[in-house]
Amino acid sequence: MIELRLALPLARFALEVEARLEAAVTAIMGASGSGKTSLLEAVAGLRPAARGRIVVSGEVLLDTATGQRLAPERRRIGYVPQDAGLFPHLTALGNVRFGARGDAARVEQAIDTLEIRACLSRHPDSLSGGERQRVALARALATEPRLLLLDEPLAALDTGLRGRIVPYLLRIRDEWRVPILYVTHNVGEALALAGEVLLLEAGRVAAQGPPLRLLSSPALARGADEGIENLWPARVVSHDARAGITKMETSAGLPVAVTLLAAHPIGARVTLALRAEDVLVSTEALRGLSARNMYEARIESVESAGPDVTLRLTVSGAALLARVTPQAVEALGLAAGGQVYLAVKSHSVRVL
Amino acid sequence: MAALSTASILPVGLLAAYGLARYRGPGKGLIETVLSLPLVLPPTAVGIVLLELFARRGPLGSWLSALGLDVVFTAKGVVLATAVMSFPLLVRSARTAFEEVDARLVGMARTLGAGPVAAFFRVTLPLAWRGVLAGVVLAFSRALGEFGATIMVAGSIPGRTRTLALAIFHANQTGRDDRALALAGITAGLAFVALWTVELVTRRRDRRGGA
Repeated sequence: MIELRLALPLARFALEVEARLEAAVTAIMGASGSGKTSLLEAVAGLRPAARGRIVVSGEVLLDTATGQRLAPERRRIGYVPQDAGLFPHLTALGNVRFGARGDAARVEQAIDTLEIRACLSRHPDSLSGGERQRVALARALATEPRLLLLDEPLAALDTGLRGRIVPYLLRIRDEWRVPILYVTHNVGEALALAGEVLLLEAGRVAAQGPPLRLLSSPALARGADEGIENLWPARVVSHDARAGITKMETSAGLPVAVTLLAAHPIGARVTLALRAEDVLVSTEALRGLSARNMYEARIESVESAGPDVTLRLTVSGAALLARVTPQAVEALGLAAGGQVYLAVKSHSVRVL
Repeated sequence: MAALSTASILPVGLLAAYGLARYRGPGKGLIETVLSLPLVLPPTAVGIVLLELFARRGPLGSWLSALGLDVVFTAKGVVLATAVMSFPLLVRSARTAFEEVDARLVGMARTLGAGPVAAFFRVTLPLAWRGVLAGVVLAFSRALGEFGATIMVAGSIPGRTRTLALAIFHANQTGRDDRALALAGITAGLAFVALWTVELVTRRRDRRGGA
């Protein structure tokens, strides 16, 4: 649980944020220059001008009313800035060890979670953007933080590369159980990772709530144009070389067939990505289709986002998003509570 | 003597340089100007001020001699004079180096549990060491060659306060140009070794891709 009541004067406006955040992952969204990075820095203790009150998991980090102000080194907050902020004079390993104070077990665990063993002896300037982000994440994790602050990991890179950091964030969320404040522009990422979205506008909270409910807000709808993805942690169940498919099961129990991936051993954990617009929606039972994934689903809600409509669906308890045109909604009479049939080609599901 | 004077200004010089690099408040320009004065004043002017201050009856000297410390016309005077003269060179060079270190990296070190002092020694200094080293070598060379302030404060007492630079002048004045040339050679040799070492060390680090 994070309690924020913050005031921080910035160049063009004052950051004034008041919020209680209870989700495992909170996405902080908003246009460039709306104060997202300043908010993270204030929480990390890097903005001495910040006033107000910050409480993380019962620990008071800042309370100007009582004169309490923990120095950044005593806050135990892992901060990963946009450019990763690695120390250029240290190797990747030296960076990961920097804050761990000799806790070798934590360092090893962080290295395994982020899968950076192969690049440990290299200096940051010879790492790729993705590797840098993962090293910075491992460095933050190794300090046993009570909160992780991530500033738009890989925003500078193209969407294809960006997708690769998501599996690691899912792992941190589910295995390390560290609460995360996550700045992102990407609606798909917010939907996949965050239980809650905090939308900032000129330093103030414009909206707060579950990501899907905020989809209809103009600021998020603009971001949704880039595409919404279903992102699922999953494991490999079986390979069928003759049929040319690999069977997966998501952590929510949804069976998914993808094109054959014999290189992944049975039981291996992967992350599946499925674009919401690649889900075919029908009001009648599907027959004679080539698609290898067919589901019976219930429409939980119908949200307008930008030019398209996003359907929030459940397939025997597992959540799934589909995007259709407003015309399709009208023609098929799609509404919350309705029963629909879904088809997904095995080729549409990507493995990250 | 030059090494001793460089060593004596190192801690204070680094502190001053770091302070100046991070300080953004009023009076920054004034402080910098005052610190740089010994660079532009005639060394003898600095020498006379130091002499008056530290003379046995001077404001600082009387206090020090009560503690049993005589500075003027002793080896301590040499260290004092050369230190004051080379201090600005160290500070200017180190300050520039510290300013080039990304303040956000220092912030990162803090969030990773390093206090301000640990952050300085584990991040700022390793990243700025080239400029700091250059400043140290400059200060050392200046101390080696300092003449005006040294002769005012410490005199030129053979075996006690006669530095290489003073000895060269003395040898020439007493008509021993051969000796003066030999001493000049030694000075050149010392300075060369210092500069060349810096050159080698920096170049090796470059190739390794570090720093």
